[in-house]
Amino acid sequence: MRNTYDAIIIGAGHNGLTLGSYLARSGLDVVVLERRHEEGGGLATEELTLPGFLHNVHANYHTFVDMAPPVKDLEVRSHGVTYVRPEVQMASVYDDGTALVIHTDLDKTCESIARFSEEDAQTFRRLYLEAHGYVDLLLGTLMYQPPMSVKELTKALASFGIEDRSEFLGVKLRRESINWFLDKHFTNSKVKAHLAFHAAVCGYVNDLPGLAIGFPLLVGKIDNWHLCVGGSHRLAHGLWRDLARNGGVMISDADVVRIVVDKGRAVGVRLSDGTELSARKLVASTVDIEQTFLEMVDEDSIPSELRNKIGSGLAHQKWSLFSVHLALSELPHYEASSFDPDVDRAWVVNLGYGSTGELDSDWEVIRKGLLPKFPRPNAAVNSLYDPTDAPEGCFTGLLRQFAPYSIHGEGPAGWDGLSNWYAKQCLNTWERFAPNINDNSILDWAPYSPADIPRKIKNMVDGDWMMGEVSLSNMLDQRPLPELGQYRTPIEGLYLAGSTQHPHGFITFGPAYNALQVIADDLELDKWWNEI
Amino acid sequence: MPDIYTPSWYEEVKEAMNESASRLTGVPDGSFVVAIEIGGDGMSPYVDISGLRRFLIKIDQGKCQWYREIANKEEETELSNGGVNFRFAGPATAFDEIAAGLLDPIDAALKGLVKVRGDMRFLMRHSEHVKALLDAYSRNVVTLWPQGMPPYGVAIQPQGQEASSNISTSEITNA
Repeated sequence: MRNTYDAIIIGAGHNGLTLGSYLARSGLDVVVLERRHEEGGGLATEELTLPGFLHNVHANYHTFVDMAPPVKDLEVRSHGVTYVRPEVQMASVYDDGTALVIHTDLDKTCESIARFSEEDAQTFRRLYLEAHGYVDLLLGTLMYQPPMSVKELTKALASFGIEDRSEFLGVKLRRESINWFLDKHFTNSKVKAHLAFHAAVCGYVNDLPGLAIGFPLLVGKIDNWHLCVGGSHRLAHGLWRDLARNGGVMISDADVVRIVVDKGRAVGVRLSDGTELSARKLVASTVDIEQTFLEMVDEDSIPSELRNKIGSGLAHQKWSLFSVHLALSELPHYEASSFDPDVDRAWVVNLGYGSTGELDSDWEVIRKGLLPKFPRPNAAVNSLYDPTDAPEGCFTGLLRQFAPYSIHGEGPAGWDGLSNWYAKQCLNTWERFAPNINDNSILDWAPYSPADIPRKIKNMVDGDWMMGEVSLSNMLDQRPLPELGQYRTPIEGLYLAGSTQHPHGFITFGPAYNALQVIADDLELDKWWNEI
Repeated sequence: MPDIYTPSWYEEVKEAMNESASRLTGVPDGSFVVAIEIGGDGMSPYVDISGLRRFLIKIDQGKCQWYREIANKEEETELSNGGVNFRFAGPATAFDEIAAGLLDPIDAALKGLVKVRGDMRFLMRHSEHVKALLDAYSRNVVTLWPQGMPPYGVAIQPQGQEASSNISTSEITNA
């Protein structure tokens, strides 16, 4: 192992690898250090049930494909990464046997919505078309550049007269919840429930004030959900290949325990085995803020006020995900397919939320550290669109239920005695809507609780797969703290490029791409990727 | 009254933009180059169906220094000194309608008719200035349409240009 590099990046998740690739392509000598045995972070694909069944342990939905600049800039598809965009993207099945289906074909989606409300179908069409028109602008303004403040954004929206030009965008959205947006524009409870459910799966809780500001963007990409063929880890591998092809190095089992700071400047790192690596130009951390500043940095290297803020608790999602991974011998056949046959072809299915009130009740229960008594998980069958992820004639399944990280009175360890039981509750729900998913068709299953999340991926503090709450007070330049909102830190040469930063978690590539802009400014790099 | 997309028209656009900008405070420091790409769409008579007309605008201290048509990418690189800061691209009909005052440029961007590339943060931070320049471009210039104006073949006048033959640019600007 060499000991000196231009850039040392901590964490080989998709953000670490992305930043590494850009910098390597810019001519820097780059090393990306990964604590685990493999690259990928949340892009983990493992045989959790039976041999030959590939399960995406964390990231399953890639919703920014062809919207995120790195996919093109880093030629991701030339590195063995293949994406499928399922033509039946998502569905909701309801207790009364009806179903609402989101297609990649807008007309079909509107036909499905019109079965519940013709007026809502028309509203959805207008909203989708409006959002689709400005989705590029919103992505360029809100996602793929270092963040502005809410104040600046509000002023600009007012100057451009957005409220007079748009039916759905507006300055007041910054104070309102997604529920408010849905109640203002839609009428049918099932339509509203589906749209709220979709937002929640994207990390945007429907009852939190301020998140309405992101809702039009979510709708603008509602049909852009992609599946990474062969498992999400293929993306990590593709990014690693790009890094390697451009001279960068990724080292696994490299547990960074210390960021070495000399005279206020980050000059290297120390690994748990005592190895020291020097950085000529920069160190970038893509792991959580707590590890970076409370574990890896000496106490006197950052202002005590900042250290205290971090130590007293950052804003993390107040909910997590309970998963059940399945090996199946049959595809689910929903009772609701008699209402709409396309539901059997839907990649992701919401099992039962029929009103935003039902979601709200579950959020309330979850925030108290309790489990929703009647789970309404969502079910994804990747094999519908990727037959390579299971042996011939077999299929993978994934149930995900919104759930607390910490069980009331017991803490996260409480999950260890609950996981199998709660998994069965979730399986019962699936069987209720798709009766052929039962002991005969389930070859094996494996629960993966919120407590398991940080055990595998330390970054995801408190089971927070978004690596920071998605809320008004923790977005744009306030994320994760105002002092750290622009990817720089009080330590010269130390940057933050992980999902703790704007925009947030999910496979957005945004934190790395935005940190890159700041690093390029500081190092006066030619922004070859920024072809205008 | 100059014909659309002629040097004298660019000059009038430039003057209109600068007059508008001169009424603002807090214009952006420094200079930047805006590229405009107008693609033939089979409807506009001003751009061949498969053609592309390219324009460059140099803004310095908030004022338009020059506005000219260029032939190709090489000329763009040369004139911009290798660095275009913003690019507005779209079909000819959209740009014609903007110039005719029939399509609001911000609406065009919101609807995705005109694609905007560049530092969006800069555009947002200088939104008042950007809006003033766009308004000047779309409303404050009297334009002649020798091959018809959009919607092509229909004799209508754009908003604010009804009596254009009798009103000077400055009079309209000051209205």
